[in-house]
Parts: sequence; structure tokens; C-alpha cells
Amino acid sequence: MSIHADTHGHAHHWEWSWAPAAISAAALCFTLAFTLFFVYEAQLPAIVCAGLMVPLALAGIAKWMSEMGQPTVPAFNSLGLALFIFGEILIFLGLFAAYWTLRISTSMDAGAWPPAGTPELNHVLPLIMTAILVTSSMTYHQAEKCFEEGGKGGFLFWVLVSIVLGVAFVFCTGYEYTHLWHEGFKPGTNQFSTPFYALTGFHATHVVVGLVTFLAVLVGSIIGSVHKSLVKLAGVYWHFVDIVWFFVASQVYFW
Amino acid sequence: MTTATYDHAPAHSGGGIGAWIFTTDHKRVGILYLIGSMAAFIVAGLMAIGIRIEQFAPGESGLIQYFVGDIGKRMTTGDAYNTALYFHGAAMILGFLIPGLTGFAANYLVPTMIGAKDVAFPRINALSVWLFYCGIILALLTFVIPDKPDVMWTGYPPYSIKTAGNTALYVFTVHLIGFSSILGAVNFITTIIYMRAPGMGWNQLNMFVWSILTGLTIQLIFVPVLAAAVTLLLLDKYVGTGFFDSARGGDPLLYENLFWFYSHPAVYVIFLPAMGLVYDIVATMAKKNIFNYKAAVYGGMCGLVVISGEVWVHHLYVAGMPNWLRIGMTMTTLMISLPVGLMVLSLWGTLYKGAITYNVAMMYAGLCFVLLLFGGLTGIPLAVASMTVHFARTSFVHAHFHFIMALFAAYAVFASVYFWFPAMTGRTADNAVSKLAFWLNVIGTQLTFWPLFIIGVDGMPRRYWDYSPEVVGAVRSENWTFYHHLSTYGAAITAAGIFLMIVGWVYSAFAGAHVGRNPWGSKSLEWTHASYPIGPGNFPEEVAVSADWTPYNYAK
Repeated sequence: MSIHADTHGHAHHWEWSWAPAAISAAALCFTLAFTLFFVYEAQLPAIVCAGLMVPLALAGIAKWMSEMGQPTVPAFNSLGLALFIFGEILIFLGLFAAYWTLRISTSMDAGAWPPAGTPELNHVLPLIMTAILVTSSMTYHQAEKCFEEGGKGGFLFWVLVSIVLGVAFVFCTGYEYTHLWHEGFKPGTNQFSTPFYALTGFHATHVVVGLVTFLAVLVGSIIGSVHKSLVKLAGVYWHFVDIVWFFVASQVYFW
Repeated sequence: MTTATYDHAPAHSGGGIGAWIFTTDHKRVGILYLIGSMAAFIVAGLMAIGIRIEQFAPGESGLIQYFVGDIGKRMTTGDAYNTALYFHGAAMILGFLIPGLTGFAANYLVPTMIGAKDVAFPRINALSVWLFYCGIILALLTFVIPDKPDVMWTGYPPYSIKTAGNTALYVFTVHLIGFSSILGAVNFITTIIYMRAPGMGWNQLNMFVWSILTGLTIQLIFVPVLAAAVTLLLLDKYVGTGFFDSARGGDPLLYENLFWFYSHPAVYVIFLPAMGLVYDIVATMAKKNIFNYKAAVYGGMCGLVVISGEVWVHHLYVAGMPNWLRIGMTMTTLMISLPVGLMVLSLWGTLYKGAITYNVAMMYAGLCFVLLLFGGLTGIPLAVASMTVHFARTSFVHAHFHFIMALFAAYAVFASVYFWFPAMTGRTADNAVSKLAFWLNVIGTQLTFWPLFIIGVDGMPRRYWDYSPEVVGAVRSENWTFYHHLSTYGAAITAAGIFLMIVGWVYSAFAGAHVGRNPWGSKSLEWTHASYPIGPGNFPEEVAVSADWTPYNYAK
């Protein structure tokens, strides 16, 4: 048995960073705000908690980004991100399983789908939303290309375009919800409204998270520079959200 | 071989309190996990004592309210008991067992066992431990808020949707700790795949490293489904959707399926790392190579990952399903015995003809052998649908899963603390007090849980806060009361043992006897090559291993 040893790469101090703690505290504030608002109907404390959440999250993300200068191994990031997205896929699979269960059992019992109380869904809007999301994936790809070539102006422009498209997508969701709500199609209306709001809403939340990473990339590079792995991470996540939309749209609107 | 002998490691500057609390170093993150999970363990343990006191005799003892912080006794005994059950279950599993094994032990040991300086993503690691602490804070809020959660750790609808208790707190605790787990899984899988020392092949890994790789694979696959399930619960209760509400066309069984789809594999997320710890301790203390390493790793651990996702339906035997499904699920559940059997065989084989050193770590590991045996054997009747329909709602089940989950896994964690204590502190926690604590724990836990098997077979329902002589008959009730007395005395003895053990750890960390490096004569990297006690960067020199090296090379 032989073990080779060479001498370099000592680290004789303990590494630390407060960024993870700040982001976790922001997450805690979010859960408290939700609980105070929905469970205890205490609006003011809920708003205070939500208000605490924003600076904590911003400070944490900014600090984290400023520390990303240390060398990271690309393979780590690829595998880490792939594993994380694998986990995300399983969350959506859980939701789809719930949807399929409700749909199949309702169809077997009542023999009709969609169940009574469902208004005619707008089938053009999801197509427009699909187009928006696909375009935004392409524009962000363009942004990544500019980033690699070092063109900061082009990079900022394409990221901004992607953000605008993402916001437009969320706006479409809001528009659709408002209309359906006025037609009396609320989350508790029937066996279709339940998974409809859950699936589209959950996807929209993911779009919002993607937008937050885009904003972090945008603001980060306006102020200083942004780490390559964050640009890539935001992109892969966005493409993932885009692909999930195909499944959500095809299952919810066109089946 | 050029073993670096750094008995007097260079003094590492501590870096102040900030470098402790906000640390991104995997060892300190591990210690933070240990502190947090032991805190959850202590509070959840107090709830268990409250539960035992309430069950001491039929009728209200009225003490349980004080245990759940309801000093003015606004809650009924039953409600307070439900809240104690909720906290005990949720905190023991989500706050103690999973973070103790995949947080503390994995953080401290995996990088040092594979010869790495840290994990792949140190800041994400810190994020994991902080999200875990936020989850613990949310769970602890139970004791100060009105409308305390009372949904056990399972959160079954329709009760969880209709109760006045705060189900949102349960859901968010699961979310935060679940997200922490997913990030931990991403981190450690990446670390184990990419950061092994040069030359370290897959058949040269410590059993514990394998157990973390397989356990966290299960965690990564199934936790997201739990997150989805409890999110739907939240929507049902507070947004008005109807996934699990049959009045709105939903299906309560859907939740039970989604929940157990995660929560049965979660048993293996706990079981596998506990097994890994016991393997490493036993091999070192017996000075033996792992018996049948490849069968235990590829057949046992990897096999368990494959089968873990096919057995959850046995939790629903009595919830209603067609008989052909019951038969199928009995088969898949019994199949779990194959990988587990391979592991147990390999564990006993490792001990065979070993020169066994008995110290506290090995005593706990040895106890794990026994617990595994009884816990496993009592699981077989529960796998069989025809028997489960009789046992499912009795304290027989309660005793069975406490043998495996609570005792086996917790003792593996405790064994690991004693075993790696010198690596963490340069001191030993192995002394007369820890041996006394060990025997109190053994006697106390056996006395607590064997009576529950006995009255479980006789029909004592689990989860109930009371059993009245009018309902079950005077003779039976008297018989049960005798066993409940025994069980409660056992819980008290256990509490004394745990108290001594924890006091012993804290004392030993600051004032225990110093021991030289590698006191157990291990061949594993965290003893032979890491600095002692393990400091920043773990290894004074870069580590590389040759093809014939293994961490269990005791024969050569």
C-alpha cells in the first residue's frame, strides 16, 4: 500500500459567509408572512415579515454573487444543476400525478370531462404564451453568446429582452386568471379548476424565480461583473421552465 | 507509505464567533447540524415523555398540556396530546434523524473519508444548514402560537384540511427542511462523484460514503414528491382547491399515496447512512475487511434504492385497495428483505472471527445489530397484508418502527459521535459516565418498547391518548395499564441515559481526556491522513491512494 503525498494547497483558515444565512432568513420570513396572512389574518405583521424578506434576500444574493470569484470546477456546476433540475422534474411529476388521478377518477365516475362549471378556455392565449416563452429562451441564448464573446452591451440588451418577455408571460397568466375568476372559475370550483390553478400557478412561480435570477444577472453585470456559472445556471433553469411549459400547456389546455 | 504524523497540528485560528455561525466549512456545518438536530431530539424527546405520562394510566393526567406549552390549559387533553404527537414525530424524523445522519455525519465524514478538502458547493452547504435551522425554528413556534398544529407527522387529509390547527406551519417546516435536503443531496452526490482522492475507485470507498450516495439518491428522487404533496395540502386548506377533499371531487387517498411514495423511502434515507456508520465502526473495531463488500454495496445498498420506490402502498393496506394489489404489494415489500439481508449478512460476517475492541462506540454499534434483528423480524408480519389489517392500528406498529427508525438509527448516530469524537476534538468521550449512559439507554428503551409489542397484539390502539375500561373491559384495561406503567418507567430511564450522554459529550468536548491520533487504529483517510483534530482544509498534504488501498485493509 502506498499513498503519495505532495505539498501544496493548504488552507489554514476557516471559510465563512453570511450570504446563505441571509437567504435562509428571507425564506423563513416568507413562510411567516404566508402563515400570518392566511392563518391568523394578521395583515400588518404579515406585511412586516414580507418587508423584511426583500432586503434580506437582496443582500444575501448580492453578497453571494460578489463571492463567486473563486474558481469553480465547471463539471461540478453541470452535475449539480442537472441533479437539482432532476429534483424539480419530480415535483412537477407529483403535481401531474395528482392531476391525472383527479382527471381519470372524475371521468370514470361522471363520464364527462371537463366537469360541469368549466367555462370555455381560451386556446389562443396559451399559444401566444408558448411563443413568448420559446422566444425568451432564444433571446437568452443570444445573451449567453454575447457573454462568451465579451460584448457587454449586447449581453445586457438580450437579457433585458428576455426579462421583458418573461414578465409578459406572467402578465398573460394574470390576465387569464382574472378573466376565469370573473366567470366564476375559482380554485375550488370543480375537479378541473383545482389542478388547473395548481399546475399553471406552480409553473408561473417557477417563471418568477427564473426572472429573479435574470434580474440578478442583469443588475450584477451593470454594477460590476457577473460570474460565468451564474449566467449559465440562469439559462439552463430558464430552458427547463420553458420545457415544463410544453407539458403543462399540452396537458391542461389541449387534452 | 508516507503517513503524515501531525499529532500537534498547527494551531488554526478559530476566526471568531462569526466564522462558526456563518461557516461554510463542511466540518463546522456538520457540527451545526449536530447541535440543531440534538436540540430537536431533546424537545421531541420531552414530547415523548409527555406522551408516556399521559398513557401511564387510563383517564386524564392533565400534564400533557404543560408539555406543549399550553400553561393555561385552554386545550383539551386530547388536543394537547395530538400536538405532542405532531411535534414528536415531525421533529424526530425531519429534525433529528435525517439531519443527524445526512447532515451531521455526512458533512463531517464524507469529504474527509474521500480525501477532499471540502464539499463541491460549500456555500450551498451552509444554505442547507441554515434552511434546516429555519425549519427547526418554524417547528418550535408550535409551542408559542395559538391553533397549534395537530396533524402528526403525516398530515393526512381530510383532518389536516378541516382542523383548526395550523397546518401551514407543518407544510412550511417540510418545505424548508425538504429544500435543505435536496440541496444537500445535490451537494454530496456531486462531491462523491467528482472529489474522490486521485486513484480512489468505486470499490475503495468507505461503506458510509456509499450509504450516503445511495441514501441521498433516494432523497433526491422522493423528497420533491413530498414537497408537491404538502404544497397541494396547503392549497387545499388556504386557497380552496379540492385535491384531497372528496366533497369537491378530490381524493384523500391521493395524498396518502403521494405522502408514502416519499415517506416509505425516507425510512431508507435514515436506514442506509445508519447502516454505513455501523459498518465503518464495526470494521475498525473488529479489524476486519468488510465481508462481501461488493454484494453489500451493489446488491444491498443500490438494490435498496431500486426497490425502495415500489413498496409504499403497504401503508395503505387498510385504507382500501383491491386484493390483487395487496398481494402484489406484499410481494414487493417482502422483497426488501433481499437487499437488507445481504447487508445484515455482510455486517455479521465482518464481525466473524474479528479481534473485537469493546468501547462505547462498539457497544452502541453492537446494540444496533440486535435492534436491527428484532426490528426487522417484527416488520415481516407487517409486510403481509393479511396480518397488517389486524396490526396496522395498534401499538405493535408503533413499537416496530421505533425499533428500526428510532432506536437503530439514533444509536448509530450516537455511536458515530463517540467513534469520531477524537477526530473532531482531539479528546475522547469514552469514559465511565458514557458507559453508564449506554446501559441506561439499553435498559430504558427495551423497557419502553417491548410492552408496546405485547399490548399491541392484544389490541391497544396506537395514537390514542386514552383507553377506557368501559370500552375495552376492566381486565384488559388493567393488563394494559401494567404494561403502560413499564413503558413509562422505561422512558424515564431512557431520559436519564440521554441526559447523561449529552452532558458527557459537552463535558468531553471541552475537558475530556486527550488521546493521540487514530486511537482506534483505523485505516480510513480521516484518521490516517487528515490533520488531527481535523482542521481547515482537512489534509496537510494532498492525498492520493494506490489501487490496492482500501479503508479496511486490516489483513495486510
